Amino acid sequence: MKNIILILASVILLFSFNSSGQTKPPVFSPPALITSAGQNAEVQMVAVLAKRAGISHTLNKVATAEDLSGINSLLLVLGASMKGLGAAGLDTTKEMERVKGLVAAAEEKKIPILCLHLGGEERRGAQSDEFIKAFLPKASLAIVVKSGNKDGFLTRLCQENGIPLVEVEKTVEALEPLKIAFNLK
Amino acid sequence: MFVEKGEAAEAWRTTKGTAVAVPGALAGWSLALKRYGTKTLEEVIQPAIEIAEKGFTVSETFSNINKDEYEKLLANAGEATVYLNRGLPYEPGEYFRNPELAQTLRRIAKEGIEVFYRGEIAARIVRAVQAKEGIMTLEDLASYQPLDVEPIHGKYRGKDIFTIPPPGSGLFLLELLQIAANWPIHTWGRDSAVYLHHLSEAMRLVFADREAFLGDPEFVSVPVDRLLSPEFARHKASLVQPARVLGNYFPEKLAEEKDSGNTTHLCVVDSEGNAVALTQSINHFFGSGIIPEGTGFILNNHMDDFATAATGPNVPAPGRRPASSMAPLLMFENGRLFLVLGSPGGTRIFPALSEIIINLVDFGLSLDEAIEAPRFFSYSQAGALRPLSLEPRFSAETIKGLEERGHKITLRKPYDTYFGGAQGIMVDRAKGLLLGGADSRRDGFGKGY
Repeated sequence: MKNIILILASVILLFSFNSSGQTKPPVFSPPALITSAGQNAEVQMVAVLAKRAGISHTLNKVATAEDLSGINSLLLVLGASMKGLGAAGLDTTKEMERVKGLVAAAEEKKIPILCLHLGGEERRGAQSDEFIKAFLPKASLAIVVKSGNKDGFLTRLCQENGIPLVEVEKTVEALEPLKIAFNLK
Repeated sequence: MFVEKGEAAEAWRTTKGTAVAVPGALAGWSLALKRYGTKTLEEVIQPAIEIAEKGFTVSETFSNINKDEYEKLLANAGEATVYLNRGLPYEPGEYFRNPELAQTLRRIAKEGIEVFYRGEIAARIVRAVQAKEGIMTLEDLASYQPLDVEPIHGKYRGKDIFTIPPPGSGLFLLELLQIAANWPIHTWGRDSAVYLHHLSEAMRLVFADREAFLGDPEFVSVPVDRLLSPEFARHKASLVQPARVLGNYFPEKLAEEKDSGNTTHLCVVDSEGNAVALTQSINHFFGSGIIPEGTGFILNNHMDDFATAATGPNVPAPGRRPASSMAPLLMFENGRLFLVLGSPGGTRIFPALSEIIINLVDFGLSLDEAIEAPRFFSYSQAGALRPLSLEPRFSAETIKGLEERGHKITLRKPYDTYFGGAQGIMVDRAKGLLLGGADSRRDGFGKGY
C-alpha cells in the first residue's frame, strides 16, 4: 500500500509539474495500439496491464502505419530482444524501420505516444539503447522500471525532450500510472 | 512432422502439444537409484518436496528468464499459473512456491513412478498435451524405458574423459577436444585471436559432423570410433587455416558402420569417491509452457531436438530419442577421478565444456576461474559459417584479430546465460580436497556436507 501511495504521489507530482510548466499533462485515450520497439517480451506484460486498467487495446508485435486506423494512443514498449527479433524473423535494422514508419504515422495523425521501458537493467545495452534513443524523444509520457535507469540515461533523454517520466520499482506498479495517463482513476 | 506447406512450423516444435516428448527423467532417476543408490525414492524425493512447499527467493536470473518466457507461459499456462506471480513474471526478491508440485512429488514418493507413467498423472499429462494439439498417448508414457548405457571414452592431453554416448553430444565434446590437442594452445594464450580462431573453426567443423551423424543409435549408425580416432582429429586440425575462416564446413564422408558400442546440471562426489554428473532438461526455458492440471510441473519441448528435415539421422519417428546437446563427463588422471563436469546451454554445452577443460589443462586456471572465464561459441549450419558469439571480456586486440580473419562477431553480455551454466567438482589429491566450481551465469553454487 505504501508503495502504491508513493507511486501515485510521484505520478501526481510529475504531472503537476508539467501542468504548471511548459507542457500540458498528457492524457491518453483508448483504443490504444500496443507494440514494441525491439520485439521484447515486456510488450505482452503491457497488454496484460492495459487489460487490468480497462484500456481497450490491440496488441500487434509487428504493427505498421496501417494499424493506426481508429487508434487514439500508441503504447510503445522499448527494448531489444535478440530472441524476440529472431522469432519475428527481423533484425535491428528492419525493426528500426518498422517502428520509425509507425511513429512517423502516429505523429502525423497526432496520436500521442506513451513509451514504456519495463525490462530493467536486462533490457539495456547497445541495441536496446538504440531503440530508446530513437523513440523515447517522441513520447508524451514515459513509464519506466527504475533498475533500467540506474545510469540516469532515461531521465536525461526525458529532461532534454520535456517528457514527463514516471519511475516504478516493478512491472506491476506500472498499472497505476497507466490508469492515470488514461484518466481512469 | 514439423513442416507445414513447405515451411518449418516452429510453434509445433516448441509451444504446441506436439513439442512435448515423453518425459524420461523420473524413470532415469529411478533406474539409477535402483542400480547404484543406497536410499529409496521416497527418501531422496523429500528435499525436493520441501523446496517446492517452502519455496525460495527469486533471483535476477530466474526473473529475467521468467520475463523472457512470459508470452509462452501466458498462452499455455494462463495468468493464474504458479509460474507467474499474479499473472506477471516474478521480480527479483519475490518468493516462489509451488505447492501443487510438492503434492505431485509426495504422490510419486508414496505410489512410485508408476503413477507418473501409468496412473493418474499420466492421464493428466496426456490430457494437457492433447488439449494443445499434441498426439501423445497413454501408451507412449506406459511404454517408456530408460536405458543404462556404456559411456564413450576419449583422451585430452593424457587425461581420460568418459561421457554420454549418442544421441547425447559427448561424442562431439571429445571430437572437439581431440582436434584441439593438436595445437599449442598454452603458447597461444587464453585471450588471443589465434586460439579463439582455431577453436571456433574446430567447433564449426564438429557441428558439421554433428549435423550429419547424430541420431538415436538404436535406429541409425553413428560412426563413434571413426570420429574419435587420433588420425581423424589430426586430419580435422589440419583443415583449419591460421589466417582466415574456411567459410564452408562439411562433414567427413565416413562409411556408415555399426557402432559397437532450458537444462540444468549437478555434480556430486561422495565420501567414498562415487561421482555423478547429471544433466537434465526440459529443453527451452520453461519447456513447452504446458502444465498438466494440478501437477505443478512444466512439460518439456524436446521434440524440438529432432531435425525438421524429412531425412537424415535425426528425423522424428515412433520410439526414437532425439539428438541432445547434453555432455556430462567424468575425467580421470592416471586412472583416478580428476574432474566431474557438465552444463546446460543447448548447443553451447559441449563447446563450453571443452573451453573449461582447456582453461584447466592448458592454461592452469582453477576450476572456478576456468568456469567464470570469458566464453565464446560458434557453429556451422548446412555447411555455412555462423557468427562467433563472444563475451566482451576478451581484449579489443583479440576481437580485432578475429575480425581480420573473417569472423562475424556477435558481442553478448559479460556473463551471458547463453553460454550455459557449468557446474564442476575437481579432486585435488595432493591437498585431499574436493574443489567446487559453479557458474555465476546461471546462479550456480557449490556445497559441502
